[in-house]
Amino acid sequence: MDDFEKELKLGFLDEAAQAVDDVEQCFLALETNSSDTENLNKIFRLAHNLKGSSKAVGFEEFGAFTHQFESFILKIKNGELKATARSVSLLLRANDHVSKMIAGLKVDLDAKFDSQELLHELVTFTEVGDDAAPSAPAPQEEVAPEPEIVFENFPQAFTAPPTPVAMAPQPPSPPPVTPTAAAAPAGPKAAPRHGSGPVSEESIRVALSKVETLINFVGEMVILQSVMREQATSTESLLLKKTVHQLGKVGKEIQDITLGLRMVPVKPTFQKMQRIVRDTAQALNKEVGIALVGEDTELDKTVLEKINDPLVHLIRNSVDHGIESTEARVARGKNAKGQVELIATHQAGKLVLEVKDDGGGLDTEKLKKKAIEKGILKPEATLTEKEAFNLIFAPGFSTKEQVTDVSGRGVGMDVVRTNILELGGEIQIESELGKGTCFKITLPLSLAIIDAMVLTCSNEKFVMPLNHVFETLQPSQNMVQRNSGLGDILLLRGENLPLFRLGDFFGLKSAKHHGEMIAMVVRTGPRPFAILVDDILGQYQVVIKQLGPELAGMKGVSGSTILGDGKPSLILEPQELLKRKLTSGYTPATTQQPHSGGKAA
Amino acid sequence: MSNDVTRYICFNLGLEEFAIPLLSVKEVIGLPEVTPVPQTPPHFVGIMNLRGSVISIMDLRHKLSIKAVPSDETTVVILDLGGHNIGVVVDKVNSVISISPEKISEKPIVDSAKSTDYITGVFRRENSLVLLLDVARALSVEDRSIIKKQSQVAA
Repeated sequence: MDDFEKELKLGFLDEAAQAVDDVEQCFLALETNSSDTENLNKIFRLAHNLKGSSKAVGFEEFGAFTHQFESFILKIKNGELKATARSVSLLLRANDHVSKMIAGLKVDLDAKFDSQELLHELVTFTEVGDDAAPSAPAPQEEVAPEPEIVFENFPQAFTAPPTPVAMAPQPPSPPPVTPTAAAAPAGPKAAPRHGSGPVSEESIRVALSKVETLINFVGEMVILQSVMREQATSTESLLLKKTVHQLGKVGKEIQDITLGLRMVPVKPTFQKMQRIVRDTAQALNKEVGIALVGEDTELDKTVLEKINDPLVHLIRNSVDHGIESTEARVARGKNAKGQVELIATHQAGKLVLEVKDDGGGLDTEKLKKKAIEKGILKPEATLTEKEAFNLIFAPGFSTKEQVTDVSGRGVGMDVVRTNILELGGEIQIESELGKGTCFKITLPLSLAIIDAMVLTCSNEKFVMPLNHVFETLQPSQNMVQRNSGLGDILLLRGENLPLFRLGDFFGLKSAKHHGEMIAMVVRTGPRPFAILVDDILGQYQVVIKQLGPELAGMKGVSGSTILGDGKPSLILEPQELLKRKLTSGYTPATTQQPHSGGKAA
Repeated sequence: MSNDVTRYICFNLGLEEFAIPLLSVKEVIGLPEVTPVPQTPPHFVGIMNLRGSVISIMDLRHKLSIKAVPSDETTVVILDLGGHNIGVVVDKVNSVISISPEKISEKPIVDSAKSTDYITGVFRRENSLVLLLDVARALSVEDRSIIKKQSQVAA
């Protein structure tokens, strides 16, 4: 195979993967509204393109399968077959198979697949379907249950808005809009990716590595600019001063735009959740609808990728544990069909994701009982409602009486919380017994930039992420108690917090006297504590830079950043910092060089 | 010149001369300002800012127990070690030479308690010996384990 052919094939696979994602949403919409011809046309067009292009680049097996796939869709389109739950399930399975083939071919262009069974099913289903088609109104009813509930919350979730533009025959390639390119800097609501929306802004695909290189250089430019601004203060030339000032403005603009390039809408991730709700509900024999709100909300690509698994878990939990069985719902006088809502909003520079269900809610008494049984909680403990809710995040906790294969081994929720905390986010639970539960996840918009405090210790600068700092204060002499067994203790408004010196974690000797130092109170972990630093220089937005693998094992340091003076500085991770062994605190005998401390430790 | 000739960059560590393949070198810069990283091994000089990315700087002289010669030619060679960059402090960079494989001889050792894995061969240039260095072997693998070991002790 020559390079040209290889390139063609790889290009096709990229496009095909996009098409498969797109078409899945259409299938799900088809189930809700089987008579949407607009949607059917789009599905048919995508399937037809897949078949045509795959044969053109020489994937014979792939072409053969997509041919049957297309025929099946054609039958639905022509009304020979109805879009029932059964046929849509088959379509989704066939789609999964196509996506498996794409993944396989990406690894090995000559990969072979066993498609016989599915092919057979596609063909035979057609025949059975033909016979059953005239007398099949029953399943039809089953799959179109009260769509208005859905529409009330989210008008576009299940219907593709009909637009004549998209009806026009298109060249045989799926829309080449990618998540990266869709993040047009013009505005967060730009360029809808899916659905048969109007022709969006033109876009190009750019490799993520290129965007990252650009971000790096822009960061460097901003640093050089601040150096120049410093120099310009001592110049006589008014023109130079003015130019430097304007350059600064332009630079800021460029920086904002560049960082925006990494932002992508949550839409693709949200839409995957539709499928998960559908499959989970079907496996559990429940009726559950999902509404998506705020799909165009943008988030850093990496954060979005990392939040996917926790979100899947929460959604499954809501369908499995949250929504009651149909009988129980009817008995309580609720709508037989459960409802899960997935909402994304921007709030105060953060992204807030909510997973809401209208199920049974969390029963604090039951939670407590379970926690005592499992030995997580002492029987005499008294908990607030919030604390009781948070029990579900305890490792090894599961409230469902029966373990199901959908969820319920009790390994998930603590992992969900850990993952979210690792992203610098947090998760809260609101729940009302009998009415439903809401998991509220707050995430930083970007992992690349954080708000941080720059502090000094032993004349070295360190960076502390702001989300860890609850408060800072300069403790007076009588607020600090020294105990030979417990070490230093900070007496803070009725609380007794362990107090550490930052320098003691690193074998650095503080440049300041005890009484002049500043305490930072950290409450992000299971136990609050305070860290003493020499001074706080200010609060900045810093761009996170990865450290090389040779420093990967360093505890208490999550990365580095480049400060305004152009020098790199270490970003602290206070929870991990605690795991470092303290060097012998207050005996000044350990006169170590700043970077040779490790040898003595 | 045959096709097998590889180009090497020669540099001094103390009074000894070493060479590494030119293709692994990204650039050569003057000694920059570095930020020390606490509790790292003595040969870990610190981290530096190279046009927006943060790079670790190692002192090969420390690592190989070679006495540094104070010089104003002290330089940092930025190397590409399979995807990530690392800086190495050397006393001075001398020249770029082309060496064909048949000119490279095995390292002359009989038996040694000291590991010399990081020397891949030697090359005779006029009256002096140039040692061909595998920097990845001399530095990174072992370093990773050192830092891991330390944080384990610390934990």
